[in-house]
Amino acid sequence: MTATLTAPAGATATAGPPAAHRAPRRPRRTRGVLLHTPGKLSALLAGLVLLSLAWGALGGWVAAQHSSAADALVPVNDRLSLDARHMYQSIADADATITAAFLASPTPPLGQLQRYEKDLATAHGDLSVLQAASGDQAEGTALGQVGGGLSAYSGYVGEATAEYAMGYPLTGGSFLQVASEEAHLVLLPAASTVFTRENAALDAASGQATGVPTEIALLVLAVVTGFVLYRAQRWLARRTNRLFSPGLVLASLMLVIGVAWLAAGFLAARSDLSRGIGHGSAPVQDLALASIGVQQIRGDAVLNVISRSGNASFQQDFVAASKKIGPGPGTWLGAAASAQEAGARESGGAGPSLVASAGRDATSWYAANTRVYLLGTHADYAGERNLVVGTAAGSTLAGYNALEDDFSNAIQADQAVFASGASEGASALDPLPGVVIATSLLMAAGCAWAVSRRLAEYR
Amino acid sequence: MAGTGTRRRGSRWWRAALCTTAGTVLAAATAACGTVARTGPADVAALAAQATTISETGSSLLYPLMRSWAAAYQRATPGVTVTTESTSSGTGITAASAGTTDLGASDAYLSSGDLVKNPALVNIPLAVSAQTVIYNLPDVSGHVRLDGAVLAEIYDGTITTWDDSRITAINPGLTLPAMKIVPIRRLDSSGDTFLFTSYLSTGNQAPADQAWNSQIGYGTTVTWPSVTGEMSETGSLSMLHACASTPGCVAYNGISYLGQAQAAGLGEAELANDAGQYTLPTAGAITASVDSFVSLTPPNETISMIDGPALTGYPIVNYEYAVVSTRQRDAVTAGALSAFLRWVITTGNEPAYVDAVGFQPLPSALVTLGKQQIAEIGS
Repeated sequence: MTATLTAPAGATATAGPPAAHRAPRRPRRTRGVLLHTPGKLSALLAGLVLLSLAWGALGGWVAAQHSSAADALVPVNDRLSLDARHMYQSIADADATITAAFLASPTPPLGQLQRYEKDLATAHGDLSVLQAASGDQAEGTALGQVGGGLSAYSGYVGEATAEYAMGYPLTGGSFLQVASEEAHLVLLPAASTVFTRENAALDAASGQATGVPTEIALLVLAVVTGFVLYRAQRWLARRTNRLFSPGLVLASLMLVIGVAWLAAGFLAARSDLSRGIGHGSAPVQDLALASIGVQQIRGDAVLNVISRSGNASFQQDFVAASKKIGPGPGTWLGAAASAQEAGARESGGAGPSLVASAGRDATSWYAANTRVYLLGTHADYAGERNLVVGTAAGSTLAGYNALEDDFSNAIQADQAVFASGASEGASALDPLPGVVIATSLLMAAGCAWAVSRRLAEYR
Repeated sequence: MAGTGTRRRGSRWWRAALCTTAGTVLAAATAACGTVARTGPADVAALAAQATTISETGSSLLYPLMRSWAAAYQRATPGVTVTTESTSSGTGITAASAGTTDLGASDAYLSSGDLVKNPALVNIPLAVSAQTVIYNLPDVSGHVRLDGAVLAEIYDGTITTWDDSRITAINPGLTLPAMKIVPIRRLDSSGDTFLFTSYLSTGNQAPADQAWNSQIGYGTTVTWPSVTGEMSETGSLSMLHACASTPGCVAYNGISYLGQAQAAGLGEAELANDAGQYTLPTAGAITASVDSFVSLTPPNETISMIDGPALTGYPIVNYEYAVVSTRQRDAVTAGALSAFLRWVITTGNEPAYVDAVGFQPLPSALVTLGKQQIAEIGS
């Protein structure tokens, strides 16, 4: 029966050659069946069941997509983005630390050497996590460059350390310069590429979790389904003189419940996720960019001390980078502060004060860096070097450490906001696929029950 | 009508095929030109044979050798002109970075700062050189011995006369006059200054060296301490002339000017190496120093060989570098430059060229590394 009904229904619905050509090929029996009420009822039964299941499938899929994207935001996408930032920061800090340490003394303090070792270990750890998660060819290439570059880099630093230890500081110094070249020309650009791509992936995942297009498609299908149920009810009412068919009423009710639940879930999740992204993830990205800018300024200052040929001034780069970092309107720190203030107005928290602290420390650190370049301009190379590689209060290293602490604390606070918002959003989305599938199955059952009762009357 | 249509389609097909073929050939030719530095010697020679001018400026230490290389290469390669200019290593690096010269010559390798600012630059060793310390003591026969600590104290004004006990202590067989020392140093951004101040910063790592390292350091330009009677000069030749006309002077200069210094009656100091041995920049002493660094030299050939571990080595030795951009303005220039550099590190390192100026040929491992770097030059 089903096979007999399905093939002509499909043939009728398909646009094709003119009827004159098609008619001879259609089986006469099928055409006859469709012209009679039992045939029409059978077709209606199949159509309604299929439509109900289609609604359930699409609704479940959309809800599952949103739910899965929301679930992955914090533990996967955000974590990878942070790992990429950590990796960049660790490489930049490792190079600045080891270079400054040997510039200050051929026998650097243990603390500086340990910091360098810890940075390298962090970079390797982040690299492993990112490599395991990477499915992107361009990012895979960049990660490969970081992997190869880290080996070469640590090899050159090892050579430098050995030369210093053997009492050949100049040869050691030249190896450190080769290592710095590897860091600045290979490692950091590759790490920056990874960070950019992971940030883009985080943005894409955020967009997927809060995306509207699939929800609109779902709404359209819900309206179509509701209309078909309404028309079916009208048609049956005309044929049977019964105003309501309980099965179709049940199906309609299930549709309404499913749509309402989905809408409420999506709206609640969207609100939570948008709050987490706007007040947590976005400022984290701004702070991460500011932190990378600070790393660049620090690395350039160290390189500038090494370069005495006079044509490698990094002063302009410093001024340009500091303008991007901020604080102030239109800067990364400014954007992070605004986002956090908005978040704090809604929920309260320590974010704004942490960013304000970073802004204050950045301003005084810029002043120290300006003094560095001024000393260089006046050929006071010893003073310039002491201010860059020295560890005393007022040195650029002390200011840099304070600033990095500010960034870490502020990022941690924003992370908590993002994690909270994303978690609440994901919780709102979690039950949706089950609800939609369950209501659609009940819809299909209601339709089948309603139409099969009418069909039984013809047997 | 149909036939016409067919002929038209056929005509378009042939035209398309012709265009495609021509395009492919053109693209292949362009690609070949773009990577001329990586193609065979015949291609390079063909390109180099086109009328091309290679400009060079930089190290005054390398200048005498560069001039003879240029003359010989022009004779061997019709159509190629090599212009040379004796300025300073700093000028060579700056000009190569700015693209105002094809080839910058430098006694100092590019700093990491230079390379980060100009990632297209490479430094390719062309020959092995050494630096001499010369003095004008007319009545002293034999070689005065000096070390990094004594020179540091001369240049910071602590030691002011030639008969200072710190000098006489290391020159037991020599009678030194109570003559005032006139330290002469380079005013311009100089690779010679880089090498000399490197030696003062390390020397035998005496307190004087450590003080120099922490207070002044090393570089192509440094903040020289103020010393009574000091003299500042620009370029190797000026250093030589100033010392020749100033009794009591001490100056540093490239080995390529040693012959002229000796002809002018200037003395040549024996310098203390890391093992405490006093050596002159002989071929054997220079080679001994360089040999201990060959296996350490990284692929970008950036290495300091000052005060190395060789027992009989001379302490101030260095590679003379060509600072070149790997992104030349066109394939012809890239090809010509690559061919010239390959010639310099092979034929140009033969005794006929390097012996005349006291240089030493590059070790074979450095020639290999140099060829690898030259292969990166393109357009």
